[in-house]
Amino acid sequence: MTPAQLDIQLIAAVTAAACALPGVFLVLRRVSLMSDAISHAILPGLVLAFFVTENLASPLLIVAAAATGVLTVVLIEALSRTERVKEDAAIGIVFPILFSVGVILIARFASGVHLDVDAVLLGELAFAPFNRFEVGGVDLGPQALWVMGPILVLNLVFLAVFFKELKLSTFDAGLAAALGFAPGALHYALMTLVSVTAVGAFDAVGSILVVALMIAPPATAYLLTDRLTTMLGLSAGIGVLSAIAGYWTANLFDTSIAGAMATMAGVAFALTFAFAPERGLVAQAQRRRSQRRTFAEKMLTVHLLHHENTPQEERECRVPHLQEHLRWSPDFARLAVDAAVRDGYVLRDADRLSLTEPGRAWAQESMVD
Amino acid sequence: MPNAIDVTDLTVAYRDTPVLWDIDLAVPEGVLMAIVGPNGAGKTTLIKAMLGLVDVAAGQTLIYGEPYARQRSLVAYVPQRGSVDWDFPTSVLDVVMMGLYGRLGWVKRPGKKERAAALEALDKVGMQDLADRQISQLSGGQQQRVFLARALVQDAQVYFMDEPFQGVDATTERAIVTLLQELRQAGKTLVVVHHDLQTVPEYFDWVLLLNVRRLAVGPVAEVFTEENLRLTYGGRIPFVQAASVNEP
Repeated sequence: MTPAQLDIQLIAAVTAAACALPGVFLVLRRVSLMSDAISHAILPGLVLAFFVTENLASPLLIVAAAATGVLTVVLIEALSRTERVKEDAAIGIVFPILFSVGVILIARFASGVHLDVDAVLLGELAFAPFNRFEVGGVDLGPQALWVMGPILVLNLVFLAVFFKELKLSTFDAGLAAALGFAPGALHYALMTLVSVTAVGAFDAVGSILVVALMIAPPATAYLLTDRLTTMLGLSAGIGVLSAIAGYWTANLFDTSIAGAMATMAGVAFALTFAFAPERGLVAQAQRRRSQRRTFAEKMLTVHLLHHENTPQEERECRVPHLQEHLRWSPDFARLAVDAAVRDGYVLRDADRLSLTEPGRAWAQESMVD
Repeated sequence: MPNAIDVTDLTVAYRDTPVLWDIDLAVPEGVLMAIVGPNGAGKTTLIKAMLGLVDVAAGQTLIYGEPYARQRSLVAYVPQRGSVDWDFPTSVLDVVMMGLYGRLGWVKRPGKKERAAALEALDKVGMQDLADRQISQLSGGQQQRVFLARALVQDAQVYFMDEPFQGVDATTERAIVTLLQELRQAGKTLVVVHHDLQTVPEYFDWVLLLNVRRLAVGPVAEVFTEENLRLTYGGRIPFVQAASVNEP
């Protein structure tokens, strides 16, 4: 691995972790699309600040862009509060306007400089290692790391300090307000954090992929845990893994790093959605199948109990009869009988079925429930 | 001795439509009061307005003679069960501890003492065994008990509860009523949005009849009359048998 490769992975991993942390609260507050709005709408702020400073590395760019991000949230919420426009439509109206203003500004006035629409959408992670942060001629590492590193720390500190307040206002904003915790202020603080993170990550991975890194890892973690702290840790971890896996995928297929990172975040989600231990599709299907089988066993034992020691016993308590009477397919009847025999509830003598003592007790119990 | 709750001239409007119209209300300490009225009468809005959760067009609320903002520690609030996301990744114990966040203030985290207090409150609602349970696995009645425990742990003087019996089974309803009555006997004041007119005389000692305006307020024996109910519900009294209503 060359130093440049290591730098890229480091930048990608730090960016992914920084995005995933506030993303957890976006997902839980059901405002995931705010990240989409913010990550696009910061563009005009970035461009205008660039016109003023004429320096792409100026910290003023981050401040101006983050302010535009918060302005976006304010505009969207003001528009949806009028109740003439629903919130999703308000998001769809506000951010494309701001984003397109940014695009026009770049195309019209900044075509000669190193600020172009491709970089805005997809970032330029591959070149990030060549942009060094130097003080007095000493190389202190890639500049992007000096942007995303502090942003990651900022996010960690904010979440650690206001963890309790964020949790309460996300779960129950009414109680948070009643207890005097200013959920509105917390909301804007969180949105400011999302904006700052989006601006920083924008440079590395572009605006579309910021959304992938903010939303996909938390949505994945949400399927794996039911504790908030675990969800935060898992989200950051999944983000970092997606970033590194994405880098090597891009390396292998010689393609866009940022694109591969977002794809990997999507793959991680898809795999988890299918195979998560409790909430995954497979686990759910298994649970349903086993519920169906257990219920079939119950029906079988209850049916046998019902006809035990009656004149119909000889006719009712036979395997072929189940198919007709309980409307089971021959396969399913065999499956249910096998399961009941295996569990020791039923004895089978050729076609003739009879209950065991535990089977009788279980059937009686089942009928009481 | 000031009243537990004093509301004067409280008006809440949605644009130019009044939701609550000039409400005056004086609730003495130690009563268990039901708020009843038809759908859209403003019952929930009244509670929220008293707690400063909605903008009021006019009027004020005093808790023991002071504005609510200065008396937060004296007040516990149980919102409607449906107002929160029960898929939120947290445990029963954690939700109950949220009741103590107000006392802890900003930044400070709950510790051993808070855990113990929350477990004790869960015990009171018969849910100690479920302390570590993820909240999405609770039944409606259990969710309501968790909310109740979260209010109990605040050890407040005044309790505002928005439909604590909504969607709970008969056993849970009994258990909750017993708890509310114990709180009242301990000198607490409780204001409860309630839907079932039938049980008002049995559960409560005070009642507020509300339909945008305050139609009547006072001891159940005095104001829970057929005439007042007719005023409140516009002639049709739902779900109520004449026998359970006091004749004027």
